[in-house]
Amino acid sequence: MVGETSSRVASVGGAMSAPDPVVRARNIVKSFGATRAVRGVSLDIPAGAIVGLVGENGAGKSTLARVIAGVHAPDEGDVSIAGRVRHLRDPHEGLKAGVSLMAQEISLVPEATAEENVLLGNLPRRGPFLDRGAMRRHYRELAELTQFDIDPDAPVSRLRVADQQKVEIMRALSQEALLVVMDEPSAALTVDQVERLHHSIREMSRRGTAVLLISHFLEEVLELTSHVAIMRDGELVRQGPTAEETVETLVAAMVGKALATEYHERKEQATGPVRLSVRGLSRPGVLRDVSLDVRSGEILGLAGLIGAGRTEIARCIYGADPRSAGEVTVDGVAANASHPAEAIAAGIFMVPESRKEQGLIAGSSITDNVTLATLGAYSRGGWLDRGAMDARARRLAEEVDLRFQSVSQHVGTLSGGNQQKLLFARAREVQPRVLIVDEPTRGVDIAAKRAIHAKLAELAAEGMAILFISSEIEEILGVCSRVLVIHRGQVHGEFRAPYRQQDVIAAFFGQHLAAI
Amino acid sequence: MIERLRSYGIVAVFCVLFLLLAITSRSFFSFANAANIMDQSAILLIFAATTTILIVAGVFDLSIAAVATASAILTVIAVNVLGPVAGVLAGIAFGALLGLVTGLAITATGVNSFIGTLAASFTYRGLGLILASGGLVTIESQAAAEALQRISVGTYLGLKGIVWIALAFVLVMEVLLAFTIFGRMVYAVGGNRRAAFLAGIRTKRVLVACYTLSGLGAGVAGVLYVAQYGSGATNAYSDTFAFTAIAATVVGGVSIFGGSGSVWRGSLGILTFALIGNGLNLLGVDTTYQLTILGLLIFLAVAADQVFRRSERV
Repeated sequence: MVGETSSRVASVGGAMSAPDPVVRARNIVKSFGATRAVRGVSLDIPAGAIVGLVGENGAGKSTLARVIAGVHAPDEGDVSIAGRVRHLRDPHEGLKAGVSLMAQEISLVPEATAEENVLLGNLPRRGPFLDRGAMRRHYRELAELTQFDIDPDAPVSRLRVADQQKVEIMRALSQEALLVVMDEPSAALTVDQVERLHHSIREMSRRGTAVLLISHFLEEVLELTSHVAIMRDGELVRQGPTAEETVETLVAAMVGKALATEYHERKEQATGPVRLSVRGLSRPGVLRDVSLDVRSGEILGLAGLIGAGRTEIARCIYGADPRSAGEVTVDGVAANASHPAEAIAAGIFMVPESRKEQGLIAGSSITDNVTLATLGAYSRGGWLDRGAMDARARRLAEEVDLRFQSVSQHVGTLSGGNQQKLLFARAREVQPRVLIVDEPTRGVDIAAKRAIHAKLAELAAEGMAILFISSEIEEILGVCSRVLVIHRGQVHGEFRAPYRQQDVIAAFFGQHLAAI
Repeated sequence: MIERLRSYGIVAVFCVLFLLLAITSRSFFSFANAANIMDQSAILLIFAATTTILIVAGVFDLSIAAVATASAILTVIAVNVLGPVAGVLAGIAFGALLGLVTGLAITATGVNSFIGTLAASFTYRGLGLILASGGLVTIESQAAAEALQRISVGTYLGLKGIVWIALAFVLVMEVLLAFTIFGRMVYAVGGNRRAAFLAGIRTKRVLVACYTLSGLGAGVAGVLYVAQYGSGATNAYSDTFAFTAIAATVVGGVSIFGGSGSVWRGSLGILTFALIGNGLNLLGVDTTYQLTILGLLIFLAVAADQVFRRSERV
């Protein structure tokens, strides 16, 4: 029975699992640079089981899944498939060993047909030529089995996402995969498409293929899986039969450490007049009827899962993306920008989410980067007053505590934290009434992070209205006295300090916990 | 150190080449030869100046030779109808107009500039054919033709009119890129278009302005052709001019990825090409080999730049 003596690894299914798991990951450790994404996780997946893997942003779920599928080689630990330890070097080897990965981004050949994609790994041949007849027969068999109705000759690039996923499922079946890893398969689907996806996941399981399902939709996990594993901060919190879990127990397990003391909790709510007001902001397929107010002196947090629509809200307000409906006002004056230049003129400025791609001009000097949004101020009849630009840049750089040698230094040579400070110097230069900051502390060290928080508090104290986006829940709850949780492009909940962290996290996943 | 070598490598190459020629060839180091080099390079200096601005902005314009040809033909027609002064202005304006159209079409559709301007180049060459009714157009008024020729080929302080005009054009472009708000915007758009957009720069307008400038430069080149020869031909400027301008710009040290560089670098690139050609001539190298040698030198220059870039990243 289950009395396997040597097994120090907790089997996911406990007493219910078959003695030999089809995939067994042991003590997996995986780091990216200084970030330890997965810290010694062991996980067993019984043959034919549907196993859920849940956790907050950055808990390490996708990394673990990618290690299992051979996308990343683990730093420590190993993965055995069907009883043999495998050292997979790429997803192709994973496929050959029997593990198929359906990633967040589709991994099909876009210009090839559905049929070709399904059979790509093992195309039937007759001599040196493709056996088209055998291909079609094989495809029809799979189509009948799954009851998927996809034109075999349709190029995958022209299929909808839901149909592309079906092609991936058929491919996994055609390769007789032992395990299919699905990373957020239902994130891009409509309700009825999700139902069909669930049907095919059950069908795969019935035919003996195990499924590892990573999902942000807790109800989906509860409904579909037989076992569930919960991760937090790169470690496995718990694994066990799904029947023993509820939304509340899952959320409780996902909640991280208690609010770190490094944040002085701001309990008082801002009482200044409303500076930024957004009403009914919509963008088809992205945002629906988003309304919010930010007061003078307030730092309002926008929290939620990656891809929930926080950045999209910011970009729509800032005029960087088009909107289909919605009114924006600053101090009661209409500020419906259709270009960032108009937003800046209306008193709104945004520090975008990725410094390198959207914020900085790496090959240009500190001066040029600081003054980028305010060139007009240094114009004397179209001529640049370079002396004034340099002087101003030097003053602002010192003000935000930038570590630099000279203002003519290229910003590509600065560290991440200093680059972020430079963007604050630019914001200072613009002097907006409303400042939007999107993930300003991602990838910066703790000292720079503190400096950025202090800078935000200082700007707010001067009367600026700040909209602050962060994926790190401790940070956003620590910095903001009020937080809106965005879920699937909508405002899903409003929370005020003091917070119960589990309530906020439940809202991330579209849930409302019953008040105790 | 490496940064400086990459930045000023072309200056060193130019100086070494100059000294080498001055030592080895007796006829090189003379004012007449220098004037000759400038004369041959005048049109390319104009093309390279606008090409530099476009490459700094992160785009290419392969249509400049076609625009210049169409402008030359229109200039002749306009001079015949409106007289020399209005005709010349019309020719330049026509070039700018074609550049504006290219710019609007490319920025509105988001077509890649390389392909977009290649298509524009065919279109404008065809337009030239239509305007010229398939052949050569000539200035009818003897007086007008002579006046234009006096300005362009007549010498002032030892240099021909077209050389002075080309130098003035280069100077204006240098000032525009280095010392104006517009110039800073060009660097920003070429350095990181998304960052420039999010900083409130009207990136599309900046690009349209760049294409218009490029057309304006080509218009000037078209007018200068007419001024020298008194006629406009459908083969006035071959597309080699556009490619040479790009090659010279890159050899001059302007990054092909946009965001950095200066107009003088493009000019220096052109003059280096001229020195090489002139030197090979004076040294008696068979013209049959010259193009091959030039091509290899261009490749060497760009490869060296790439190697420096790589070591910089580490």
